[in-house]
Amino acid sequence: MSRNLVELVRRTHADNAPTALEVLKAAVADHGEITDEDRRAAAAASGLPEAAVYGVSSFYDDLLAPRGARHVRVCTGTACFATDGGALVDGVKAAFGLELGERSEDGSVSLAETVCLGFCHSSPAVRDGELVDAGVGVIERVLAGSVQEAAEPEWSSVLEEGVLIRPGDWSGLERALGAHTPESLLDEVKQANVRGRGGAGFPAGDKWAFARASPGEARFIVANGDEGDPGSYIDKYLMERNPALVLEGMALAGYAVGAEHGFILTRSEYPRSKPALEQAVRDAHDAGMLGEDIQGSGFSFDITVLEGAGSYVVGEETALLACVEGLRGTVSARPPFPAVRGLYGLPTVVNNTETLANIPFIAREGAAAYAALSPGATPGSKLVCFNELFARPGVYEVSFGTSMRELCEELAGGMRDGRELKALQIGGPLAGILPASQLDVAFDFAPLAALGCMVGHGGIVGFDDRTNMRDLARHLLRFGAHESCGKCFPCRIGLRRAHEMFTADVPVDRARFEELLEALEVGSLCAHGGGLPAPMRSLLAHFPDELGLA
Amino acid sequence: MLVTIDGHELEVEPETTLLSAIRAAGGNVPTLCFDERQAAFGACRVCLVGVEGARGPLPACTTPCRDGMVIDTHDETSRRVATAIVELVLSELPEPPAPHTELAEVARSLNVGVPRWPGATHAVAHDTRHPYLAFQHELCISCGRCVRACDEVQGAFALTATGRGFTANITAGLDAGFRDSTCVSCGACADTCPTDAITEITLLPL
Repeated sequence: MSRNLVELVRRTHADNAPTALEVLKAAVADHGEITDEDRRAAAAASGLPEAAVYGVSSFYDDLLAPRGARHVRVCTGTACFATDGGALVDGVKAAFGLELGERSEDGSVSLAETVCLGFCHSSPAVRDGELVDAGVGVIERVLAGSVQEAAEPEWSSVLEEGVLIRPGDWSGLERALGAHTPESLLDEVKQANVRGRGGAGFPAGDKWAFARASPGEARFIVANGDEGDPGSYIDKYLMERNPALVLEGMALAGYAVGAEHGFILTRSEYPRSKPALEQAVRDAHDAGMLGEDIQGSGFSFDITVLEGAGSYVVGEETALLACVEGLRGTVSARPPFPAVRGLYGLPTVVNNTETLANIPFIAREGAAAYAALSPGATPGSKLVCFNELFARPGVYEVSFGTSMRELCEELAGGMRDGRELKALQIGGPLAGILPASQLDVAFDFAPLAALGCMVGHGGIVGFDDRTNMRDLARHLLRFGAHESCGKCFPCRIGLRRAHEMFTADVPVDRARFEELLEALEVGSLCAHGGGLPAPMRSLLAHFPDELGLA
Repeated sequence: MLVTIDGHELEVEPETTLLSAIRAAGGNVPTLCFDERQAAFGACRVCLVGVEGARGPLPACTTPCRDGMVIDTHDETSRRVATAIVELVLSELPEPPAPHTELAEVARSLNVGVPRWPGATHAVAHDTRHPYLAFQHELCISCGRCVRACDEVQGAFALTATGRGFTANITAGLDAGFRDSTCVSCGACADTCPTDAITEITLLPL
């Protein structure tokens, strides 16, 4: 996308025009597919050129699959794969006689895939219309047209007093407005050394300082709620069960960096998130914690809630900003970083929702108390979640430094039904695979990195003895190729070739595959193409015999 | 600020990219998505170079110089990866690029011949309804130069990137061809295209 285009969008945004993406999403919701008439209407309403609108309409999954009267979306995420190896997908396809992305000729029913619905605690999951059903018997219920609403996951904290599961009450902002200048709050957050919880682990305080120091007529806070990692439902929990805590973190970020407006982008795969966040925004207004001159402090802050349209890469910060602007969710080269030139070309802080949920505690209790949450390890606490193959799946707040064995066996109760844990993928599809033999590693950035793994966003997907590792490689590479934004050449073509290597009838040429992995790791523009080799490297190291190598 | 390029020192202005510095020093690294008339895009990743102290190769087109940087345009990993990427690019085309194109030239410079990748290639699709411009979509490598030429130079906004992943491509207007778009026939897209996916044609002998 060109800078001219971003400038065009900035000018129309000032007029409070809807984005092209919002208009196109509404068209799909209204009549099931996008016509040229819709595209022209989106261009007229948003100020975006028609060609650019066409580009948007061809990018997002939600805009591509035509919808019938009944629209059935099957989760193809990694937790669902770990549970049934794709049986739900195959079963639904066969029963309806449709491929994913197809609509029946009479328009009565359509099938699409979705990654992921965040019901990893009770996989496999399917969304029939607006209802998400999951777990044993789901195929039969879909076929009988009698889906039932799946239960939400349990959540708890191992800390004496939960920090991230404590309902947000705006006490952190209240204290900060009284006791902190923006500068001293920023110092406190830097002191607390909050590492980003979205995957990259970048210190939040540094991002804030860069944005604060960047000149601009306005600054923005953008909360990244595009939790695309299959197998993760942490942000889903925060946005739906504790949204005030995230909003409070955004307001604190705004106070510290001098921003008066925040945006939170959630996912269309989580139909309950946007309403929950919007309700929390209204509640905060009613309580006088958002809006003009909050608590008579002179600080004003407001928040807009937005929803994506089906793209994993939109979780990358530059792609996220493009999506907020209603453009194609493709990655941009950095520098310039968003802190310098972000949303509408202005200084912007992009933080993961969980990162922001840490801030109210720091504002209230200070950096030392924050460090004490994980003695001798990365400061603060972390939410993790487990997939359905564990005995007690759910969201847990834990301390960094806890061993993976303790998390998996004591907290989550080990594999259910006496199954044997074969391997884990912690932190999303771009993370290495941890074989069960290395379960004594501590859950923290450095120890996991030493084993080619990562904290990532904290979703923990366990695979039992039924998962074949060649199938897992194919599953991950299919996801990777499908979700590549198409901007950088290594990812755009390389992930397709990697997936083809694992779908062909001939053995995988290991040397050739490793050359390809190097091109992806070294060459890719963002962590998508750069990260997918990590699980492949782990599989090559720990499970070479299962991969069908030559 | 002072940078060292392949052993030679060069004084550069702040904000200078590695690629500008390398070219100013008389050196070169191959590029596919770069056009000096446009903002750098950072998509092709063929301009990777080695930089002392960096964790790995860096794209020369989007990386700004820092004082004291030591740049190696012959860095082995960079050239190996660039070569692998160009081979991938050739593998997405159903036929080799014409010898006079920039893509063919870059492939020759890296000694990339017939790509060793079997697998999908781009679907053949032609727009030949415009009197002066023709689009062969199967030759498009999504470098985005035509889109930037149209947006940044001409301000016509007639072109867009489409699709994503391997199916990414470029199209005009609402995908109905140049004639039904806001194209002003300036030819800037054809001028910058490195593969002849977009070419200038004439209906009449002039």
